[in-house]
Amino acid sequence: MATTTGKTEELRDLANEHLWMPFRSWVDMERHDEPLVIERSKGIHVWDSDGREWIDVNGGYTSVSVGYGRTEIAQAMRDQMRTLPYWPEGTTTPPLARLVKKLAELTPGSLERTWPVSGGSEANETAIKIARAYHKRRGEPGRYKIVSLKGTYHGGTGVTMWLGRPAGINLSDFEPEYPGMVYAPLPNPYRCEKGGKTPSECSVRCAKALEDLIVFHGPQTVAAVIAEPVCSGLGGVVPGDEYWPLVRRICDKHGVLLIDDEVVCGFGRTGRWFGIDHWDVVPDIMTMAKGLGSSYVPVGAAVVTREVADAFAGEQNILRQALTYGGHPVAAAVALKNIEVIEEEKMVENSAKMGAYFLGQLRGLEEKHHIIGEVRGLGLLMGIELVADRKTKAKFPASLRVGERLVEKFRKQGLLLRTLGNIIQLGPPMCITKTEVDEIVRGLDTAIGEIETELPAKA
Amino acid sequence: MAKVSETQALRDASLRYLWMHNRDWTQMAEEGEPLVITEGKGIRVKDSEGKTWIDVNGGYTSVNAGYGRTEIAGAAYEQAMKTVFAPVGTTTEPVVRLAAKVAELAPGSLNRVFLVSGGSEANETAIKIARAYQRRRGEPGRYKIISRRGSYHGMTGGVLFTGGGPANPRADFEPVYPGMLYAPQPNPYRCEMGGTTPSECAVRCAQAVEDLILENGPKTIAAFIGEPVAVPQGAAVPGDEYWPMIRQICDKYGVLLIDDEVICGFGRTGKWFGNQHWNIVPDIMSVAKGIVSSYLPVAATVVKDEIAEYFSERDATLSHVFTNAGHPVTAAAALKNIEIIEKENLVQNAAEVGAYLKEQLTGLKVDHPIVGDVRGLGCFAALDLVSNKETKTGFKPEDKMAQRMTDKLRKRGLLLRSRGDMLHMGPPLCITRDDVDDIVHAIDVSLWELEGEMGIARTT
Repeated sequence: MATTTGKTEELRDLANEHLWMPFRSWVDMERHDEPLVIERSKGIHVWDSDGREWIDVNGGYTSVSVGYGRTEIAQAMRDQMRTLPYWPEGTTTPPLARLVKKLAELTPGSLERTWPVSGGSEANETAIKIARAYHKRRGEPGRYKIVSLKGTYHGGTGVTMWLGRPAGINLSDFEPEYPGMVYAPLPNPYRCEKGGKTPSECSVRCAKALEDLIVFHGPQTVAAVIAEPVCSGLGGVVPGDEYWPLVRRICDKHGVLLIDDEVVCGFGRTGRWFGIDHWDVVPDIMTMAKGLGSSYVPVGAAVVTREVADAFAGEQNILRQALTYGGHPVAAAVALKNIEVIEEEKMVENSAKMGAYFLGQLRGLEEKHHIIGEVRGLGLLMGIELVADRKTKAKFPASLRVGERLVEKFRKQGLLLRTLGNIIQLGPPMCITKTEVDEIVRGLDTAIGEIETELPAKA
Repeated sequence: MAKVSETQALRDASLRYLWMHNRDWTQMAEEGEPLVITEGKGIRVKDSEGKTWIDVNGGYTSVNAGYGRTEIAGAAYEQAMKTVFAPVGTTTEPVVRLAAKVAELAPGSLNRVFLVSGGSEANETAIKIARAYQRRRGEPGRYKIISRRGSYHGMTGGVLFTGGGPANPRADFEPVYPGMLYAPQPNPYRCEMGGTTPSECAVRCAQAVEDLILENGPKTIAAFIGEPVAVPQGAAVPGDEYWPMIRQICDKYGVLLIDDEVICGFGRTGKWFGNQHWNIVPDIMSVAKGIVSSYLPVAATVVKDEIAEYFSERDATLSHVFTNAGHPVTAAAALKNIEIIEKENLVQNAAEVGAYLKEQLTGLKVDHPIVGDVRGLGCFAALDLVSNKETKTGFKPEDKMAQRMTDKLRKRGLLLRSRGDMLHMGPPLCITRDDVDDIVHAIDVSLWELEGEMGIARTT
């Protein structure tokens, strides 16, 4: 057992005195010898300041896609920073020009013009601004409403935080809410709001409900639909195959733009370059972040189809938006090298293969543990939903703090792992191997087995 | 240096695939744009064809330590070789040390640091904290945000509709965020409240804030946000009465004071933070650009202990997160950047050379009939061009003053942002007096040429 060093204590004290960590209580951390201070990392593993080794099952925020410790990305960053550490957009730099060209190649259809940013929130804000401004350019200034899917997360900034209204976020703190938000049902086959009994039935009904909402509000008031191909926050919720083609058709029919949020799904996470590729649908705007730079530095982008971008050509049509770090040359160099690593090591294929294997192993756990209601996912974006009663799908009461207790038990197994209430979210780096999957599944098995004996669940 | 054909390939790729800020790519194509910048050192950058430029704006008034600081690249690399990121809910040494360092530099009890990736996110975070704080202390009716007309606080939804004005049209992005209130800008040269001295303008503009609060009802106001020295207004320095009065008014009515130091912070105005010119301590302070001299995307929202306390317990945490809220590589770069600013006394250099810059620019005002006002503080200055000095009338849009000045300055090796009738300057803080002479001379000659073209006689 590792002992706490003086340095760990010093850093912990400083952190609890000065650092505001998201969703963490510094008072509570002080009481429990937290936070962990991470010193080194490699692949899917990290080591803390007391020398303990952990598996980072979520790879950061489902974001360290190529895995930790890729020295060639660190070198690409250093080399660019030594030559030209920064340059504002409005002109260009070599890595930026190369990156946007590469993104046009990778993204489907006529998606080709990139507005580079520093993160997912900025990417989605930019997409929504472009959508609204686009409708104004084409003479439909009344289109301002944004349709999102209930329970989906799209960001933490002024407009994006009101999208989806995800669970676990106390939005009342930030009222007033932004106008024009419309919420459609999430095509979640396990808990279909529209009562669909199969993924297919659920997806058709949810798509129909989305169209009904557009018609109810009046299509001439709706600017865009925004959604993730696979809902990440609720642990890899995969819609039935009908959903995306139907949504594309509905958007076209009503003149509504389709914004595809690939912040989590993009760059191989679901076993394809982009989540939407599973259904051969081309959105009007695609947003990306995490996997674009594997979190080596902050970077994101909104990629727009030629048809939509063309509306902004000409001096009178310029989109008035600038961001200091939009088009950062170092971020661009990192993203380029990251994409090269994904390509050269066939990580998208590995994500599909390991994801299928992982899901298969999780199905084994599902048979064994009666508190598992469902395991689901696509590629390496997966989730386990725990229930108090498999038949009724009843959730455990929040007072039992199942999520937090599980996090504790995972830690005893050497796993750092996120939960959202009763949902275990899984999104490891795409360099993961079979042996590592087995190790994680063993840890999950033990931890879930332990909590099962403590919970008042029906067999 | 890239080959010419390679330059063309990079240009073509940018024109077709890159959405460049506030630019029209069809026009750029006709004009042989964009420039491809490949290297930087100090206040100068080099393009792909080997030509050297002075970057008078230091990026977006953001490269405070100057280009070519290989030690920042070294620090970022070293951290990247250890770990580039950390699992959810954990932290890393540079992130902790950066939070502690920012708290140490920030005045008063501004001690709790929420790290983000840019100025927009920092101001969004500040506003979210302000609204949530008012609820926590039992005043949920306080949601309105007061900003000053003509200010700029960011591009994302919650800050997009603060400030504003003709230079930043927002109609494209409506609907407006609810609860936005606008106060006058204490710009002594064009005082909206008719003040004829900086002092009079400051007092009247501060009074207008109090009036606005009373008119709306103090119980509906969450926060006031402003930059110590306003940016889009061309470094408009308020009279000395302004900030102390604003602090007092905010206290009197329970309104939080958010100080946007995104541009002014980290030495830009000749002090570590702009607010130190007037010895006031805001409740929340946002910082970005200068914290890392733009070497990587990082920024922060700094909060007083008394406010942060409301969010300290397990069931009271703020529901707010960004993937990169505490990124170790960006933090390592920021720490090294701050170290450079300290070691090389760049804050003091900004004050000294900045004063010299302003003095030299003020000389232009005497010589040139179209220079209406010269203003600034530290390494932050602007020229306000007018067609008539007495009436302070600007130029007609069809005169294309900004474009023509930019072109003339480019001929003389200066990259300098002009907007409307305003020339903006915010060079790296490592600038020397010789650099200032180069810049001022180029501006002088360009103005002279422009005046000649317009048939305006020189005053002397």
